[in-house]
Amino acid sequence: MPQVRKSEEISGWLFMLPFAISMMLFFVYAIVRTAYFSVTDFDLFQAPTFVGLSNYLTLLSDPLFLTALGNTIGFSLVVTTAQTILALLLSVLVNQAVRGKGFVRTVFYLPCIMSSAAMTLIFLWLFQRDGLITGFVQFLVNYRLYVLLFLACLAFAQGALVLNASRKYDGISNVDPFFLLIALTVAIGATILSAFWQPLPIYEETFLISWLNTQQRFLFMPTTLWSVAMMNIFTTMPTLMLLFLAGLQSIPHALYEAAEIDGANAFQRFRYITVPALRPVTFAVVTMGIIGTLQMFDQVAILGDAAPLSSRITLAYYIFENAFPAGASSRIGVASAAALILGALTIAVVYVQKIIGVKERLD
Amino acid sequence: MFIRMAAAFATAAMVAWPATCKETVRISGWGGSEVAIVNGLLTNVLADKLSTAGISVTYEPVDGDFSQFILNGLSAGTAPDLFYTDIFWARSIFSAGQAMPINSDVSDFSPNLIEAFTYKGTLLSLPKDFNTLAVHFNKDIFDDAGVAYPSDDDTWATLEQKLVAVHKALPEVDGLCIVPEYARFGAFALATGWQPFDVDGKTVFDDDFRRAFEFYTGLVKSGAAIMAADVGQSWSGGCLASERAAIAIEGAWILGVLRDSAPNLNFGTVRMPRDPISGKRGNIVFTVGWTVNAGSRVAKAAQMVAELLTSEEAQQWVLEQGLALPSRKGLVDNVWLNGDQPEQKSSRVVFDGLSDDHVMPYFFGDIGGSWMQPINAAINSVMLGETDVNSALAAAQARVDQLHAK
Repeated sequence: MPQVRKSEEISGWLFMLPFAISMMLFFVYAIVRTAYFSVTDFDLFQAPTFVGLSNYLTLLSDPLFLTALGNTIGFSLVVTTAQTILALLLSVLVNQAVRGKGFVRTVFYLPCIMSSAAMTLIFLWLFQRDGLITGFVQFLVNYRLYVLLFLACLAFAQGALVLNASRKYDGISNVDPFFLLIALTVAIGATILSAFWQPLPIYEETFLISWLNTQQRFLFMPTTLWSVAMMNIFTTMPTLMLLFLAGLQSIPHALYEAAEIDGANAFQRFRYITVPALRPVTFAVVTMGIIGTLQMFDQVAILGDAAPLSSRITLAYYIFENAFPAGASSRIGVASAAALILGALTIAVVYVQKIIGVKERLD
Repeated sequence: MFIRMAAAFATAAMVAWPATCKETVRISGWGGSEVAIVNGLLTNVLADKLSTAGISVTYEPVDGDFSQFILNGLSAGTAPDLFYTDIFWARSIFSAGQAMPINSDVSDFSPNLIEAFTYKGTLLSLPKDFNTLAVHFNKDIFDDAGVAYPSDDDTWATLEQKLVAVHKALPEVDGLCIVPEYARFGAFALATGWQPFDVDGKTVFDDDFRRAFEFYTGLVKSGAAIMAADVGQSWSGGCLASERAAIAIEGAWILGVLRDSAPNLNFGTVRMPRDPISGKRGNIVFTVGWTVNAGSRVAKAAQMVAELLTSEEAQQWVLEQGLALPSRKGLVDNVWLNGDQPEQKSSRVVFDGLSDDHVMPYFFGDIGGSWMQPINAAINSVMLGETDVNSALAAAQARVDQLHAK
């Protein structure tokens, strides 16, 4: 018996060996080297010279580093929160689609299969000052009264249909999808008709909105990073939606049926069955989101000179800027110190979220 | 008998050495159109000379970030024997001792290009070619607007008046697509006599700088220019090629773009306008050199390749293909350069830009490209109307002081 156990143990270690070697080479060795470089002055060519903690002190006195730190935390907070909530809602929506479920999932997943570079370039075009997104905002503002009219028609038609049906049947949802479709058609028709007749004024305001190329801030983050956040949410949400979808498939349908018999409405079923049952998936999604957003680099790098540095810089980009500064010698020591701070920050935030955020296990 | 045969064999082998035992020199530069230029040079112009010298050359073009490729290669010991060095990041290679000193006769090269690649008194790169800024304009737009063409005698003020007049006459056309970058604005700042680094090595945004700054950022407000980003462009050349703007302030690199995307454009080129107060022109030199890797095992052969690639014969071929401007001043009298075709005239104007009153290479000492960021941010914020000139310049001065203090 001990012989068998020993041979199993050896097999286990043998299976682990390739992963362990790659971990040692590309992770442990890299961290040790980075830690060493972080206390040296090193330009890639001359031998590193020991400088103690001065690289860390340099970071603390560099306004650009503090900007990058603030931007990174803000970006992580916004994107992780938004993409988790939206992915959850989207997965519930996709899960409910009866016909063409596969098609709907594919459509929603499409942004994920595009390369980050291609998506960023498309968004660069959309975010031009006179680009499509500005045009959409301009349309909303210029036709604001018609937008209000549309919303009012939609609410009125849906309300009327639900009220009428609830007199005959029980359990009609306020957002019944069939009624919603009819209400939507009515609202669109009424709005288009009124636009032809023009009982309401159409404003003629021309905007040039700087989404990317600006130093303006909105709340706690530069406007540029808000735009990058929108782009990031759009591209990462589909993957997270798939994770939630897998989680949704594992929830027993009997729970929903029992809740329905007990009189729970759709929101109550979502709040008291779906959300708690998806807690382990949510934990994984939030953790992945935090790690991914704290290390945000590619979209910011591709933006390049399309936006001012201080408006787009993140910690990962700050590290790159110091490792390969344009037209100057590499500052590997400073870059390494910043990389270690980013690593420590990532571990700390994930740990804090584990303690006070979404719990890993079901209650 | 055996000894005689061995000696004869050894002699034959030595005679045949250059032909059979070639030294291979790895050279590296940009991808894109450069591949055709370098391969054209190696096969059409220099093949015999390289063969006689017993050198074979392999060209490794790089399409991504070339400076990063070279820095990584040099630090890892895998860099090519001979490679392009842009003046913008040359300092990071030179100060790290990665470049072999150039011992060739460089008396025929333009002195300010040689000076640009000289570090602590030693020439470390052989200038390959260069560019300066010039005013390229669409003749048809000026004709349609009934406005006089830009000329070599223009000052900032007269050029601005012409651009405003064009926009007034043809509202769908803007005078210039302006970019908020030192790479273009710098020529105006230098024209005032302002120095990027004063005698103490510090950068001070003085009254001269402010004057150029107010003029450049004011072009949008006066109706003479529009921000390139507002019309979906990233540079002024894109606007000229699409006939959205009447002029573009660019180097001779615009010629290739016009050849490809606007072959029928009726264009002309004139020198950069003068500062109306100082009466001087400013310009920025963008140049690239060939650098021999200090760690190369075939350094002598690499240096010979660099000399051949920048020889008068090679530069004349490149020039006559309309691909780049020669770094040798001897070629100023070249027949092609003195021709009457628009491309030839344009190249000549860009060539002449090298002798403008205040010319500075596109490089910023040990600070590197970070030096420009505060200036670019200041230009951008003023042009967007997010801040005024006083606040923008004060913020830029504070940031550049921090960079100097590092």
